[in-house]
Amino acid sequence: MRVVIVGAGAVGTHLAKMLAVENENVVLLDESEEKLAKMESSFDLQTIVGNPTKLSDLKSAGTGDADLFVAVTPDESRNINACILAHYLGARKTIARIDNYEYLIPKHKEFYASLGVDSMIYPEQLAAEEIATGMKYIWMRQMLEFGEGALVMIGVKIRENALIINIPLKDLAGDIPYHVVAIQRGDETIIPRGNDVVRPSDIVCFMTTKENIPYMRNICGKDRFSEVKSIIIMGGSRIAVRTTKLIPSDINVKIIEEDLNRCNKLLELVDDHVLVINGDARDPELLRSEGIDHTDAFIALGDNSETNILASLAAKREGVFRAVSEIENIDYISMAESMDIGSVINKKKLAASAIFQMMLNTDVLSVKCLTFIQAVVAEFPVKEGSLITKKPVKNLGLPDGANIGGLIRNSEGMHVTGNTVIQPGDHVVIFCREHVLRKLEKYFR
Amino acid sequence: MFHPKLIFRIVGLLLFVEAIFLLGSVAVALYYDEAILSSLVISIASMLGAGTLLAYICRGAERNISRKDGYIIVTMCWVVFSIFGSLPYIISGYIPDFTDAFFETVSGFTTTGASILNDIESLPNSLLFWRAMTHWIGGLGIVFFTVAIFPIFGMGDVNLFAAESIGPMRSKLHPRISVTARWILTIYVGLTIAAVVAFFFAGMGWFDSVCHSMSVVSTGGFSTKQASIAAFNSPLIEYVTILFMFLAGINLSLQYLFIFKGRAKQLFRDTEFRTYSSIVIIFSLFIAFGLFFTTEMDVETSFRTSLFQVISIQTTTGFATSNYVLWMPLLWLLLCALMFIGASSGSTSGAMKCVRISILFKVVINEFKRIVHPNAVIPVRMAGKVVPSPVQSAILAYTVIYILVLIVGLFVNMGFGLDFLDSFGLSVTSLGNVGPGFGDYGPMDSFATLPVGVKWFSMFQMLVGRLEFFAVLLLFTPVFWKKR
Repeated sequence: MRVVIVGAGAVGTHLAKMLAVENENVVLLDESEEKLAKMESSFDLQTIVGNPTKLSDLKSAGTGDADLFVAVTPDESRNINACILAHYLGARKTIARIDNYEYLIPKHKEFYASLGVDSMIYPEQLAAEEIATGMKYIWMRQMLEFGEGALVMIGVKIRENALIINIPLKDLAGDIPYHVVAIQRGDETIIPRGNDVVRPSDIVCFMTTKENIPYMRNICGKDRFSEVKSIIIMGGSRIAVRTTKLIPSDINVKIIEEDLNRCNKLLELVDDHVLVINGDARDPELLRSEGIDHTDAFIALGDNSETNILASLAAKREGVFRAVSEIENIDYISMAESMDIGSVINKKKLAASAIFQMMLNTDVLSVKCLTFIQAVVAEFPVKEGSLITKKPVKNLGLPDGANIGGLIRNSEGMHVTGNTVIQPGDHVVIFCREHVLRKLEKYFR
Repeated sequence: MFHPKLIFRIVGLLLFVEAIFLLGSVAVALYYDEAILSSLVISIASMLGAGTLLAYICRGAERNISRKDGYIIVTMCWVVFSIFGSLPYIISGYIPDFTDAFFETVSGFTTTGASILNDIESLPNSLLFWRAMTHWIGGLGIVFFTVAIFPIFGMGDVNLFAAESIGPMRSKLHPRISVTARWILTIYVGLTIAAVVAFFFAGMGWFDSVCHSMSVVSTGGFSTKQASIAAFNSPLIEYVTILFMFLAGINLSLQYLFIFKGRAKQLFRDTEFRTYSSIVIIFSLFIAFGLFFTTEMDVETSFRTSLFQVISIQTTTGFATSNYVLWMPLLWLLLCALMFIGASSGSTSGAMKCVRISILFKVVINEFKRIVHPNAVIPVRMAGKVVPSPVQSAILAYTVIYILVLIVGLFVNMGFGLDFLDSFGLSVTSLGNVGPGFGDYGPMDSFATLPVGVKWFSMFQMLVGRLEFFAVLLLFTPVFWKKR
């Protein structure tokens, strides 16, 4: 598959790396030679210095033969323009990164498709969705739903008070309604076996069903956390605005924004139940006067990653249970994780994963990316006669780094053991490292 | 960061590849029913044995080749390949001395083509085939060959390519390096087959055609005859050789684009191609005039001899139809200049390469312009594109190293008692992977009489020149081995 990526910014380079590792034919086009030199010297891809909206440059990047054309420069009009040109040159599918929610409305989408822009990615919207889902279950790091909720995968940070710590998983097994898919310990991701144990400060991925979520909360020792009643958002960015739209209106939301002009603008953008406050969210006085001690979640969405990290740290110290920080610098993510400041949102990573998903074989129902582990969870439908139905799971020889989380049979979630035989018509949910995903496809063909 | 296990594992795997290539010689030995067969089988067995041993000891190594690994692997591969490649000569007893056998192999793999043999025709055909084969492998590069045919390395072969590259400005034909390599290999094989057919119809035997084709396309210079191409005494064969030497000196990527994508414009507008062809034309005309007036050759002979020698030297092949050492000194001095220049980057030839020479010239001219217009922004352009200044300074550095290693070679050779002309010629020809030198070591002379020390240093120069200095010399810098 030939993929032309225009714009070697954070989204473009992240996507290019993911694809190059998957052995796709990646061409990266950008105007900055420096950015490209770094990529070309360490990854197996072709780089071209050129203007994304110049036909001759697009041609020399081989846009005409491209199966996928991705425009992810910082400028949305340029992206749309590049996609139109790419479509004209013969690219089979085009994706543009945009900054405007209006374009995603179905009626307008159709118009853009007629111009040659097949899909559009709005990273701010993706980030807002991620945050809003996180607010539903405040004690989790992440929750992913499969088969309309028949199976859910949850990521939980385990503390000393959890009921399952230091017990080998094989002793837990038996009649338990969950399955431990992965354990993230520091920088290491463990695909657990029977003898592994969960330790405090691990992040554990469980696969379970929706009705068992209260039970999971109990065994993870998170009973004292109730539902979210009030949220403070720092920074009135576009993500903040999109987030307020997605959060139910019975939750009390405050946005703290430093710039008075932006505050006035925000009042026009957000709904009435959102309170806009002018001030610096790093100021403990201000936080206290705004009732930080009664706040359940603090979301730092400022322009500056460092400020967000510090503000989240301060909020945690004031007793907020849940903090979410937007961190734009991908290198900071693991560092932020070790500082114990709660979840991290990175809109570039989200965008890259969303694009990655679009270009996967259409057979995959969904691929969801985990924020705290370099891994994805994919839902595969099982076809008649595919390899995976031939043997019990333990004899399949699935690649390293992949773990079957569960399966959905007749819209009901089930757990998978070594002896389970997967049947046609099932949906299988698999947790795997990003680069293993391609290898899995053959089991479902 | 480097990973010794990974490095040795890959070197081990590459020995298997070498064994596969040596099988070609076994086939020749079987066909001609030569007694040398058992020595070849022993050589293959030792390659396989050493390869298995290395691969076994280093099993379970990491998959990811770092940049440093790349440099070590490439240099080691060339050395190890040459050591094992010399086994057929030693075991069969045709070149019993290790230094000589190793010299012959290094000269083969680096496509230099200097030989220590005094009576080439006495060698069995299978060994002559192996000599040509070492050229053919080394022309594109040992690692290059392997990446194109066997995808054994997994991640990080980018770093191997960077270490074995030819020329300063690399451009990929295809996003994936292994596909690019395969395309270039297609052109290379295509050229070789075309040359075999052409030689055969020009009147060579099949065996000579195959050996000479491999030697010509890789711009090597080993012949199956002691008198080189002159032995055939056929103007037609000389013209065929001229044609294929010239083609082998053109950037293979450009040839690919020309043949498979029909981009003729890109080839003919290429600054390097133009420089290369102009140098060929100007030098051949000048030398042809010189030969016509100073020797007894007629018009056609002086033209053909001059063209043959100019292209042979400039593409660093080193075939000979005439002993240029006997010409008027000015004429062979011109050939000496060509030994520096070389043909195109991305071709199989050695030496400085035209692209570097033309950039150097433009940089020098710009310095003059800058004096007249102190505030002007003066670019160096190649094929319409501005050459960024890091590339310019890399080329200047390359030139300085080239000259330094050349001078060191001069000192070493003279230290072992050679006279100035011999020493200079040896140093230039080894660095540029040309083959013949000057003075007592011209195109019709054997290198057998060289002192052992000179042989070893010349081998070092050949290797350093073939791998374009940095890959090898880097291993001698303390910075490279520092952990941080």
